[in-house]
Amino acid sequence: MRSVAPSRSIVEATQLPRLIRIGHNLHVAAFGLMKLLPARYMLDRAAERGELDWGTTVLETSSGTFGLGLAIVCRLRGNALTIVGDPAIDPGLRRRLNQLGTRVEICEDPSPEGGYQRARLDRLAELRDEHPDHYIPNQYGNPDNPAAYSVVAEQLCEAIGPIDCLVGAVGSGGSTIGTSSFLRLVSPDLHLVGVDTPGSIIFGQPDRPRILRGLGNSLVPGNVQHESYDEVHWVGPAEAFHATRRLYGRHCLFMGPTSGAAFLVASWWARCNPDAQVVALLPDEGYRYLDTVYDDEWLRAIDLLDAPLAPEPVEVAHPAQELGGWSRMDWNRRRLHDLIGARP
Amino acid sequence: MKVDQGHRLLEDLLPLPNTAGSRVNAHHGEILQGVFHDGERLRRGLVTLPCPLYNTRATFMPTGDDGVTVRPGWRTKATRAAELTLSALGWPVPGGLLILTSDIPLSRGFGSSTADVTAAIQAVVVATGRTLPPAAVAKIAVSAERASDSLVYGRRAVLFAHREGVVIEDLGQDLMPLEVLGFGTSSHGQGVNTLDLPPARYSSWEIEAFRPMLGMLRRAVRTRDAYLLGRVATASALLNQRHLRVPQLDDIIRVARASGAAGVEVAHSGDIAGLLFPASDPATADRVERAGERLRRLGITETWRFSTKG
Repeated sequence: MRSVAPSRSIVEATQLPRLIRIGHNLHVAAFGLMKLLPARYMLDRAAERGELDWGTTVLETSSGTFGLGLAIVCRLRGNALTIVGDPAIDPGLRRRLNQLGTRVEICEDPSPEGGYQRARLDRLAELRDEHPDHYIPNQYGNPDNPAAYSVVAEQLCEAIGPIDCLVGAVGSGGSTIGTSSFLRLVSPDLHLVGVDTPGSIIFGQPDRPRILRGLGNSLVPGNVQHESYDEVHWVGPAEAFHATRRLYGRHCLFMGPTSGAAFLVASWWARCNPDAQVVALLPDEGYRYLDTVYDDEWLRAIDLLDAPLAPEPVEVAHPAQELGGWSRMDWNRRRLHDLIGARP
Repeated sequence: MKVDQGHRLLEDLLPLPNTAGSRVNAHHGEILQGVFHDGERLRRGLVTLPCPLYNTRATFMPTGDDGVTVRPGWRTKATRAAELTLSALGWPVPGGLLILTSDIPLSRGFGSSTADVTAAIQAVVVATGRTLPPAAVAKIAVSAERASDSLVYGRRAVLFAHREGVVIEDLGQDLMPLEVLGFGTSSHGQGVNTLDLPPARYSSWEIEAFRPMLGMLRRAVRTRDAYLLGRVATASALLNQRHLRVPQLDDIIRVARASGAAGVEVAHSGDIAGLLFPASDPATADRVERAGERLRRLGITETWRFSTKG
């Protein structure tokens, strides 16, 4: 139904994605800042359960957009927020967090096991003791994170109808697991494609430093239910960055590199399955990446400006094998240890 | 006063001309039932599947007596509805005799009680020469029987708060015509005492799960796509399994798939269910036939058939 009422906040106004058809069987759900949705929903539910009051300090570890989403929601609610991040927090994001009244703590050194992620969680444990009245949203394990995506599934069902394939980058598991489980209620045969990056351990790669951020993880988040994924792709920085530029250059969609990775995989999948209706989740806009992904000099400096790009993914037999660039495997809704236990 | 038998094509709720009577069709369980956000708060709500197979007819004759006498005498909710209606209309007459004739089976999810109550209200309105908007009728119906279905809206697709008597969302048009193969889901076929059932307690994930179902239903109604509607009905049946179990539901869904039905719809407080088919599809007749055979193989022998258009 058409509504002309003004929104009650910027969160309400912008939390849903814009749905755009960019191919005969390909739609994208382009978010301004996707993480607003789980941040808002997690805090609303916590308040309902009595775990979050006006005086409660919110604590979370994040180096990315979940921290920004929380900062906006906490500012509007009036809750204090401390974010524990690592040096990957870029100066622009840090300034935005500060201006929203968020305290930002940086862990300078990675933990020997579990990297920055572990170091951040250790610092979080200390902060918990310092703030007796605290709430930790815990986007990696909180079931309210995936549950927040019901509204996206509602919007997709109403606007597009049955969907055959959902493609999304995997970091916490919230958006892909949440959206797909809601869509499968009415589209039970939905094919879920998770997009990860080489060196992320979510789908079984050995942990190593990654250039492409915003997807992947050094820990396996509890919210990633591996048995929900039909197919997994690993997209490296070269393909992701160039796809991001193509998404802008061709479709005028100014999005971040995580969106580029999802767009790359979704376009390929839509080409291979011309009769299937495909939707890609694009989690954030391009402004944060103007000086990086959108800057030729920056790309040249890391040797990615003229890097050779794979036109299609390489099939891999095992998720732990050494990956060159863009790779894929049929995950077939298996659990992680079903695959990791079975090295070739 | 005799109820005129010759007006089957009239809209469900039109008073029959030259009589002071009303006729309200049964329903056949729900396409969707759950909990919904209306922008402000959560409300229990449902979308009814109309069923012209059965109906309740009511006639109200004003008398000089105070209060309403009903026949048959045990239909006391209808008495209460008639009195509440007289009160809402400002007592144009002090009372009267309400005669109900109904062929709707009881306690099975056909909405016999709501049909009685709604017919009683309509009969009083007609007999006193007054009018009441559907929203007022729905409010009275809920007051008379605690929870009420949206029978007053006929085939119009509305998401109805059955415990409050208000429309949460008007889906904008009538439901598309459907062909339904109905059946009993309990071995005894004796129904469920619906008022003994506590309201379902949904988890927070389940509450969210009703959103995509409603989203798909809006599209189904707008595009008149019975197959989309069938997906919603099946999803609602599955989600509510935990609250009122339909025996063999998984097998029934397999039958629906195998026989080309659009979906499975159940009474969320009752023991009837139905396979849904698009009324307009020429293949439907054969498919209904085959589905009936497959149901018999599951041991489901009590079946009936109707079109929502009547």
